[in-house]
Amino acid sequence: MNLDNDLKRAMRRESPPAGFAERVMQRVRSGAAPASGAEARRPKRPPLHWWRAAAASVTLAVVLGGYAVHRQREGERAREQVLRAMSIASEKVAYAQQQVRDIGSH
Amino acid sequence: MTAIVPEAVDAGALPRAQSGDHDAFAEIIEQHEAMVFSLAYHFFNDRGRAEEIAQDVFLQLYRNLGMIESDAHLLFWLRQVTTRRCIDLTRRSRLKAVSLEDAGELRSIERHSDAFLDRRLRGFIEQLPDIQRAVVTLRYQEDLDPSDICRIVDLPVNTVKSHLHRALQSLRRKLGERP
Repeated sequence: MNLDNDLKRAMRRESPPAGFAERVMQRVRSGAAPASGAEARRPKRPPLHWWRAAAASVTLAVVLGGYAVHRQREGERAREQVLRAMSIASEKVAYAQQQVRDIGSH
Repeated sequence: MTAIVPEAVDAGALPRAQSGDHDAFAEIIEQHEAMVFSLAYHFFNDRGRAEEIAQDVFLQLYRNLGMIESDAHLLFWLRQVTTRRCIDLTRRSRLKAVSLEDAGELRSIERHSDAFLDRRLRGFIEQLPDIQRAVVTLRYQEDLDPSDICRIVDLPVNTVKSHLHRALQSLRRKLGERP
């Protein structure tokens, strides 16, 4: 047995499955990242353009600002309702006191 | 010893591919696909994995076409990138072996390898340490001398000779031959 010859025979080049080049070209055309290896393992982040970041900041500011105004208005409305309720209650109490006083004087 | 060199790519395929000609790049793939695929196949003894690695190598080549200086450089680059990718993947799978979540996946890989047991020699090569496997593959598939292999695996030539010697000793032992 000649190991050198056996190894050469066992390790002769073999062709990949048919259509290999076309499969690679499809990935080339689609700009695909490698499926394995370090590059594939590292998740690719899309480039962050300054205008995208700026637009996102403005949108966030508008949303947060709007929400703050909304909360403030809700607070004011609740305060008004409480004051009005207290005012109505106070009038009712005054009216009741007046009635009691009138009954007592008769 | 004369290293296996693929037939010359159509004159000008490399510069045409470098200028964005997809047909020229497809020609380059067809010219070298057997070499790249076989390096990965003989390393992992797994055709599916070999195809995946070979595809990744050619995609990497496409992105680095600008730095390829000649057809000879292209051949060297493909051998080097394929070999290093195989070694890297083996080292990563070895790290994965300690993860319990991956135990099932590894068992399935072993089962898959079992299907190739009839190919005794390839099975034994698959069991060699990663560097020895790379050296044996480059030596016997690509017919390269240790002086060429050392440039690809980036090791001193004597270290390559030593890896080759140990790999052959190990293979002889497993085959029941006297070293």
